[in-house]
Amino acid sequence: MGAGAKYIDHIVIASNDSAATAKLFAEHFDIEIKRTMSRPGTRAHLEFAKLQEIVLEFAGPGEVQPYDEVKARLGGFVVAVDDIEQAVATVRAAGFPVGDAHPAVQPGAKIASVKAGTGGVPFAFIQYNAIPAEEQKA
Amino acid sequence: MKAKRIDHIGIVVKDLAAGLATYERNFGFKADPAKGGEIAAMGIRNAFVPVGDTDLEFIQSVADQGPVADFAKERGEGTFHLSLEVDDLNAAVEHLRGLGCRVGNPNDGIAFVSKGSTHGVNLQLIQRG
Repeated sequence: MGAGAKYIDHIVIASNDSAATAKLFAEHFDIEIKRTMSRPGTRAHLEFAKLQEIVLEFAGPGEVQPYDEVKARLGGFVVAVDDIEQAVATVRAAGFPVGDAHPAVQPGAKIASVKAGTGGVPFAFIQYNAIPAEEQKA
Repeated sequence: MKAKRIDHIGIVVKDLAAGLATYERNFGFKADPAKGGEIAAMGIRNAFVPVGDTDLEFIQSVADQGPVADFAKERGEGTFHLSLEVDDLNAAVEHLRGLGCRVGNPNDGIAFVSKGSTHGVNLQLIQRG
């Protein structure tokens, strides 16, 4: 049955200097950084590129601390589903903890993190158009 | 050179069959029976699970040494590498070397970029077709 995964929505590259890592990828692999964002409240600095349908998200701290070298690693990925509540219920029924679906950074979307049963891979579900427009304005 | 698309994400697992079974049971991801197998030269056994236009490559080490074996010893399981598709692998390798990157020689349509040249991200370049 499964959780109804449709496609990989985005992949996270975590870095102690996400701007520097995004710049390196842009310069070396001709990847266009389409958006940057410093998330209020989380002190995170995010930069986004898109390769066909998949977003590459470079994630790091909002304030870069002094470092000897930039260190990055491949983090997890996020899979798009049609029904996030059904996906969460399916994985919980299989015995694995999943966070409640909550509003994502992307307008109108909800996201839920799978916390185990993934073979050590940070992994989440996202559903677009999960929040009606009138609720987004509220 | 331009990275065209993300071809696949490599995931190291301790037991390939168990890892695939878990992902199928929990998430509905099913392996493509036409892809994967054992690659003795790389000391791995692998399987590919399509998710949309991209694959998850599940990799189990079958050797005592090598990058996958080292990763498994150090971290157990987890995301291992990102594979970027390029149009011309040889040209991409030369381009990156020209920028000062360390890149392995292309072999069977793939080449690995040294983590020292990517801030630590394990990157593979692949040419399809």
